[in-house]
Amino acid sequence: MSDPTPTRLPERPGEIIDRTRQVSFTFNGEIYPAHPGDTIASALSAAGVRTFSRSFKYHRPRGLLCGAGHCPNCLVQVGDEPNVRSCQRAVEQDMDVNPQNAWPSLDQDVMSLAGLGDRFMPVGFYYKTFMKPSQLWPHYEQALRNAAGLGVVDQGTPWGAYDKQYLHGDVAVIGGGPSGISAALEAAEAGANVLLFDNGPQLGGHLRWRSDSDDTSRKDLLEKVQSARIEVYTDTDVLGWYQDNWLAAVRGDRLFKARAKAIVFATGTIEVPTLFDNNDLPGILLGSAVQRLLNLYGVAPGRRVVVVTANRHGWDLAADLLAAGVELAAIVDERRTRDHPASVDLAAAGVPIYNGSALTGARGRKAVSAAVISEIDDSGNPIGPGRVLSCDTIALSTGWEPALDLLYTAGGKSVYQENRAEMSVDPVPDGLYVAGSANGADLLQARVEDGRVAGRLAAAHLELTEPPPQQELDKLALELSKEERRTSDRISAPDGKKRFVCFCEDVTDVDVDTAIAEGYDSVELLKRYSTISMGPCQGKMCSVNALRLCSRIKGQSVQETGRTTSRPPTTPVYLGVLAGQNMEPVQVSSIHDWHLDRGASMMVAGLWLRPEHYGDATAEVNNVRNRVGLIDVSPLGKFQLTGPGAPDLLERLYINQWRNLRKGRVRYGVMCNDEGVVLDDGVCARVDDDTWYLSTTSTGAGTAFQWIQWWLQSGWGGNVHLTDMTEIYSAFNLAGPHSREVLRKLTKRDLGNKAFPYMRIRRTRVAGVSCRVWRIGFTGELSYEIHVPSSAGLHVWEALMEAGGEFGIAPFGVEAQRVLRLEKGHLIVGQDTDAMSDPLGADMAWAVKLEKPDFLGKRSLERISVDGPHQRLVGFEMTRKHIVPEEGLQIVKPQENGKLNIIGWISSSRFSPTLKKSIGLCWLPSDIGSEPGATFTIYQDGRLEEARVHHGPFFDPGGERLKS
Amino acid sequence: MWHDRPLKDGYDVVIIGGGAHGLACAHYLAKEHGVTDVAVLDKSYIGSGGSGRNTAIVRSNYLTPEGVRFYDESVKLYEQLAAELEFNVMFSQRGHLTLAHTDGAVRTMRRRAEVNRLQGVDSRLVFPDELAHICPQLDLSEHPRYPIMAALYHPPGGIIRHDAVVWGFANHADRRGVHIHQQTEVTGVDVRDGKVRGVETSRGYVAAETVLNATAGWGSTIAAMAGLELPIATAPLQACVTEPLKPFLDVVVVSGSLHVYVSQSSRGELVMGASVDPFGSYSMNSSLDFVEGLAGHVLELFPFLSKVRILRQWAGLCEMPPDFSPLMGFTPVEGFLLDVGWGTYGFKASPICGKTMAELIATNTTPDLIYPFRLSRFAEFDLVGEKGAASVGH
Ligand SMILES: Cc1cc2nc3c(=O)[nH]c(=O)nc-3n(C[C@H](O)[C@H](O)[C@H](O)COP(=O)(O)OP(=O)(O)OC[C@H]3O[C@@H](n4cnc5c(N)ncnc54)[C@H](O)[C@@H]3O)c2cc1C
Ligand code: FES
Repeated sequence: MSDPTPTRLPERPGEIIDRTRQVSFTFNGEIYPAHPGDTIASALSAAGVRTFSRSFKYHRPRGLLCGAGHCPNCLVQVGDEPNVRSCQRAVEQDMDVNPQNAWPSLDQDVMSLAGLGDRFMPVGFYYKTFMKPSQLWPHYEQALRNAAGLGVVDQGTPWGAYDKQYLHGDVAVIGGGPSGISAALEAAEAGANVLLFDNGPQLGGHLRWRSDSDDTSRKDLLEKVQSARIEVYTDTDVLGWYQDNWLAAVRGDRLFKARAKAIVFATGTIEVPTLFDNNDLPGILLGSAVQRLLNLYGVAPGRRVVVVTANRHGWDLAADLLAAGVELAAIVDERRTRDHPASVDLAAAGVPIYNGSALTGARGRKAVSAAVISEIDDSGNPIGPGRVLSCDTIALSTGWEPALDLLYTAGGKSVYQENRAEMSVDPVPDGLYVAGSANGADLLQARVEDGRVAGRLAAAHLELTEPPPQQELDKLALELSKEERRTSDRISAPDGKKRFVCFCEDVTDVDVDTAIAEGYDSVELLKRYSTISMGPCQGKMCSVNALRLCSRIKGQSVQETGRTTSRPPTTPVYLGVLAGQNMEPVQVSSIHDWHLDRGASMMVAGLWLRPEHYGDATAEVNNVRNRVGLIDVSPLGKFQLTGPGAPDLLERLYINQWRNLRKGRVRYGVMCNDEGVVLDDGVCARVDDDTWYLSTTSTGAGTAFQWIQWWLQSGWGGNVHLTDMTEIYSAFNLAGPHSREVLRKLTKRDLGNKAFPYMRIRRTRVAGVSCRVWRIGFTGELSYEIHVPSSAGLHVWEALMEAGGEFGIAPFGVEAQRVLRLEKGHLIVGQDTDAMSDPLGADMAWAVKLEKPDFLGKRSLERISVDGPHQRLVGFEMTRKHIVPEEGLQIVKPQENGKLNIIGWISSSRFSPTLKKSIGLCWLPSDIGSEPGATFTIYQDGRLEEARVHHGPFFDPGGERLKS
Repeated sequence: MWHDRPLKDGYDVVIIGGGAHGLACAHYLAKEHGVTDVAVLDKSYIGSGGSGRNTAIVRSNYLTPEGVRFYDESVKLYEQLAAELEFNVMFSQRGHLTLAHTDGAVRTMRRRAEVNRLQGVDSRLVFPDELAHICPQLDLSEHPRYPIMAALYHPPGGIIRHDAVVWGFANHADRRGVHIHQQTEVTGVDVRDGKVRGVETSRGYVAAETVLNATAGWGSTIAAMAGLELPIATAPLQACVTEPLKPFLDVVVVSGSLHVYVSQSSRGELVMGASVDPFGSYSMNSSLDFVEGLAGHVLELFPFLSKVRILRQWAGLCEMPPDFSPLMGFTPVEGFLLDVGWGTYGFKASPICGKTMAELIATNTTPDLIYPFRLSRFAEFDLVGEKGAASVGH
């Protein structure tokens, strides 16, 4: 049997896999071995697998590229999870891994044929094709759609277990490499509480896998961290900076939300690829990816490697490869100097070294089979014939891009440093600091020092210490400015093959050229037209190359070209993590279980669940009219206002008059907004001189509370305090001709009409519990609304039910209440009114006190009252008494030409069991609505039904029952 | 495509704002009325405002007869736009669902369906049995916190490639001689004797006797330069997209109760949004609060998306008139015209706005279709209330 892991190396110092154990997983239907500690990508690489998935547009084979979670090339489907970065996901036993975007198979993808015809799919291709004939567009569209997307969503995936945690710190340090660690240490030393975040499994950043340092420097830093007062969060990706230093970070299934007073961005650098022919072939890896493979997982990237570089990192890598026994086909360095310490050994080992040369292209069909290199002149252009080096791996170490996206979203302005060919941030906003290689420091000592200074500055920002002296800052700046350049901005000349600027979207250099020529010549337009940087890497791999290309084509500097806006999150994040636990709150009253036990059918009302009925709403209506019923109205908004300022506030909030309301009295009130639109209604009682108790609609309670708070906090809050009692009190309405007799059994208070008349409030004990009892009623019957502390709600409810037994008491639900109130012609705000309804039109003109000095909506209502409202809310009866037009139907006026003009709508309708006919409320033009008996036409399912205007209550118009 | 041209010191018409509205107006002015001495000025690149930030939902199932008639004309223009502009704007009429989770919402949906139907717009109330076919991904059981009781179904509604609309209009306007000046910020409006005379810009004074304010999120600030106070509050509106996924969701799904809407773009990304931020501001910062809340509500609808990743979020500015309907046409300042107040819902109106405003400019009379949206409706209290149809489902 052949070796299942041909490129697994003997043990490497510092590796993080556990060779004593093995796990296995499947990829593309085949079983592969791995060690605990392996990522999917490292295990596949050990097995010699090169192609992981296919690309977005041309379905080109793609595999490991950056090894750092930045690019789109290693995305796979893991079980039900799409778009998993395989270089970041640890292998687990029996994991089911599959390629993406490959059909019928990874090896033979039909869509990759599109690549053959790519001359016909240039940038903007979609915009210019498939238009004619237009009736075919839906078919084209379907085909295009089917080709889109990457991973697959599994509709069986559950919500999952996610949670959230808040963190607080003085200083947050993002990035746990050498500069981040020393920043954290320095800030902690000065007395700051420090949060240190790193997305790796351990601190150390590149020290974990790069061999430019001996292991002691890392151990030394780590030991110090342990003894310092630093909260360390590893495996934690900081993915967003939001206003006021609000950071979002993710570890596994948990979202951290951290607030810090100062932040150090020690976010490191991202290694970026360059442009050359066939630069997307599997087997082309970034140098840092190769180093990670070698040093963390003990895997050789291939059998014969060409190292392409323009800085010391490529030489470090070559030395690592040599030490690990991997064959080096060549080292190709753009620079003419050869001063790296390893160069001697490498030369001695017989590795061909090409200075002053660069990679111009790669060859290969499904993976790299050769590198094409050429000598270059001083401007980077190839001279002489190229040289073909056969190899199966190209390691690219030619440039780095500081990871500054977070800092850009935090308001940092980007400045392109032509001499270093890298972005930097200037100015950095106050209280934010950038350190380490993100700040351009490359040598280890410089990074440590830069971090230390940033940590000190952050602590000084909090006034915990003095800032470092200016000489120290100057010295550091000077040292950084002397650092060797590590990034090449060379772009090799095209040679007829595809050169991808953007791997996510398969955008080539030719596409960029074309787009600019077509006029999409600012970076934002170029991005949108070509879709460069809009894919999963969000520009990490491509934006700097795109900028360089764009600036060259336009003959501008990169700085003039500008860069596109960075947007959070900097790393894609699960919806589940952002959502957290599935906990949509449900509000229920203190007697919820009782309702359920009685078989109540519950309905959603805002956050509340309420009984709609207990089986037979009509019987419930009849029982209230003839005997007595009890309804749970706990969801009503209940607010208490205390303080001498309360009447002033009420006068402004409501259209009604309040100051003259005497103690113990109740008044119906209406609130409007500035436009004079009805917001809410309810009753309000003056409990004593300085205490007012008001109720709002159930569904509007939350909005009403916010509304009142808004005004309290905008200058009307003097001498008044608002308390939300909605949940503190449960509330029941006892309604029906026998309600007084029922209540009398439970209280000592005189309930006679004299002592406790209509529209009064009293504090009294009911069943031994001190309650607020209102004599009001929405149903039109004699009724008492009992507000009882919720803890005793069930007790009082049950006592009422028991006391009412002999009178035939029965609970009633929302549906019966709606019918009862409709029989009385009462409106429900939000049902019979909408975002346009003013109280003058909504039959509440009597409540509008325009003579008051000021109130919300006054100006509008004054204006409306000049001509009167255009539309009126009125009652109606159907000509055919049994027809109940559904709520929402339109009132029309047939035109001579047969057209039906809309003139109004039905807001409420029911069949009244009491009156044995269909009744309702509707909006009509004022002229028709003002005339009782006027007929109008309702459009119902293609038929026209006639109805008549009715004014006032349908039942008991004199209100005798209510006041009895 | 379009070209950089020298900025002249005067034009017959200056349009402030190079969004879809301003460019559409320029296009129709040139194409239908032969008015080509027109400059479109934008302080940034074209489409940098709402036109490049919206979630591209196009529909006409509004609540008022005036609104339905107007938006329906726009949908009809959109249907022909690719052919007209010779540029595929990828109008995908995949159907639009507005879910009702409460009996109150069912009532509102029925009301909209009835208004739509009477105006000849394909829109109807559907119940769970039919919903199961239209959008099988929805959980139609009783378990969710907010069970789905019904939905307003609008088959011609859908999504469009917003940038393509902007570019298509720009291209055609440019071809007919309109000047498009990017990176040209209007800093003042020159009004003398009640008449507009020109605009101050970051690149100098430009004279014009007709100036159209088509600056959406900034509309009230430009109006203020002309001395007009508009009844508008500006608030940010945020949105986000996920990584691309294989297509699985055909219709656009909106839930007012859950404050969320979702569609799957032709690239496979889920495009998602909510209602405007709860406070007024000119900030275009994204907030964490927004994505957290949105994610919860999306999962409430589609729990199986928990492992799908958000790729990026952004914000745009929306001007909210009190009745959720636009402000279009003449103002007390002669020659200074409005096409603003586009709130969270204006992209779908771009072609019809361009067409009617062009007609208004060319004929100096208000087309009937936009008469209901005149500025004086506020003084006359003749509002066009669309809140019930536009607060979440933009
Ligand atoms: C997140 C989000 C989602 C949305 N979703 C939808 C949707 O699904 N469906 C829908 O129909 N609508 C939607 N909208 C609303 C829609 O985006 C806008 O109503 C529409 O784009 C307005 O187009 P416009 O051309 O009028 O304005 P914009 O596209 O905003 O253009 C205005 C232009 O004016 C320029 N400008 C501003 N001030 C100046 C100045 N002083 N000088 C020069 N130029 C200036 C700006 O740079 C800008 O380019 C959404 C909006 C947002 C923010
Ligand atoms: S190789 Fe895994 S993200 Fe780049």
